[in-house]
Amino acid sequence: MSETQLRWLPLPVFGSVLLLWELAVRQSGQLSLYPYPGGVVEAAIRTVGDGSLLAATSGSLYRVLLGFVIGGLLGIPLGLLMGLLRPVNRALSPIVDSLRSIAPIAWIPMALLWLGIRGNAALFIVSYAAFFPFVVNTVQAVRLIDRTLINAARALGASRMLVLRAIILPSSLPVILTGARISLAFAWGSIIAAELAMGIKVTAGGSGAVGLGQLMVSTLYIRRDVNGLVLYMIVIGLISLMIDLVMRRLQRNLTPWR
Amino acid sequence: MSDSLRTTVLPRRVAAGAGAYWRRYLRRCEFVVALAALAGLWHAVSVAVNNRTLVPPPLVVLDAWFHLWGDELPGDIVASLVHLGIGYGAGVATGLLLALVAARFRVVEAVIDPFIEVLRPIGAIAWIPIAILMFGIGRGVPVFLIFYAAIFPVFINTLAGIKKVDSKLLQAAEMLGASRRMIVTHVVMPASLPLVLAGARLILGVAWMAMVAAELTGANSGLGWRIFWYQEFFAMDKVMAVILTVGLLGYVFDTLLRWMQARITRWSADGSEAEQ
Repeated sequence: MSETQLRWLPLPVFGSVLLLWELAVRQSGQLSLYPYPGGVVEAAIRTVGDGSLLAATSGSLYRVLLGFVIGGLLGIPLGLLMGLLRPVNRALSPIVDSLRSIAPIAWIPMALLWLGIRGNAALFIVSYAAFFPFVVNTVQAVRLIDRTLINAARALGASRMLVLRAIILPSSLPVILTGARISLAFAWGSIIAAELAMGIKVTAGGSGAVGLGQLMVSTLYIRRDVNGLVLYMIVIGLISLMIDLVMRRLQRNLTPWR
Repeated sequence: MSDSLRTTVLPRRVAAGAGAYWRRYLRRCEFVVALAALAGLWHAVSVAVNNRTLVPPPLVVLDAWFHLWGDELPGDIVASLVHLGIGYGAGVATGLLLALVAARFRVVEAVIDPFIEVLRPIGAIAWIPIAILMFGIGRGVPVFLIFYAAIFPVFINTLAGIKKVDSKLLQAAEMLGASRRMIVTHVVMPASLPLVLAGARLILGVAWMAMVAAELTGANSGLGWRIFWYQEFFAMDKVMAVILTVGLLGYVFDTLLRWMQARITRWSADGSEAEQ
């Protein structure tokens, strides 16, 4: 096969898989048991129509962005401190490494206890998830700075503040932005996990903060709508893709010299 | 000249003298001091709050942790490791095999690739509800999630590793009369190893998170499940002890794999290029 044929090959393969899937489920006659493409489209039309999908998605996204900002505001300064001052780095990096190894969702019971089931517990989990990629990448960014630049500036009489503003911050920006991309992607995965766990384990207590995760739980246990579940998975995937695209574009636009 | 000789030939400790030895000793202590400060802060908060459920004091948690070792903790760790072993093993094996086939047959790659591009952004976590439907509450959910978390990065890193193999090496081997099988086992596999191993380490981190999430929501064994088990009794000291165990084990695994990776592929600097 030629290169062009190979490039277009996925389309018919994809189409026929979807078609076969639809036919297979329709043949089996158990439409409520298995998800199928047509049903997913129906679920999409229904949930977009009544606004539940949009409300849940924006609820989750809002908390992710808030947690992302909190993680960055705490993580970047700590990373700068650790990257610039060796004693601080030696003292804190084992602690940061061991806290980083704790899956953010493992904190859910404590977060629920401290902050309650309305949004804040999930916000804690997301901030925790977003915090560590910022720290690790900022430390790495500062390490990668060319020391001769700093020495030259110092020799020419630049103050420490000027060195920080004119050399350290701009030259560490690209790597910090990479950290931001990882952080946002990880935060998005964590909020779904947090909302799922909260939805499954804390059924009582109402729906103070409904996100995609809680919507999935109610779709699973109350409405038993498999097509809805597949739809939410697709939405989660699309948002992951969007996050990656936006962050990569931001990186290109903010640091065009890279 | 003599300077470089001194740093390369002699052990640094001998060369630098007793002063550096003490300095290094003190550096170790910085960590201990920081850890003690963290524990002290934690203790101070627990005294201020004065509520053992809300903020269990560090010594109480430590005590609970030691007791758990004689009680349920070893079984939970084994259960988690079984989930991880099956899921990660199956995921890595399938990913490697698919990548080898895709590298050999261009058509296979062209067919598989779009499916992977569609499925990859849907993180393992998003599969939890469907996995609960498919397998029920039990071992199936964590094993499936770990498998799913591992397979795509393994595939992508292995394929990238294979494609990066220097074509001169392949041609040389071919010219010298090596069979196709020999080329795969003696040229392609060692050359792609650094990227594959670096990927394996990153993936274990992701798989570890997926495991905890899956056990929290859809299993009846393992460390993640145990966290919620103790929460139902409001035994927050035990909850904290299990959470810290999750972190400790994750840290140990990462260090172990980092060490292995450095030993096995010490000739290569490829390690940092793997994609998560």
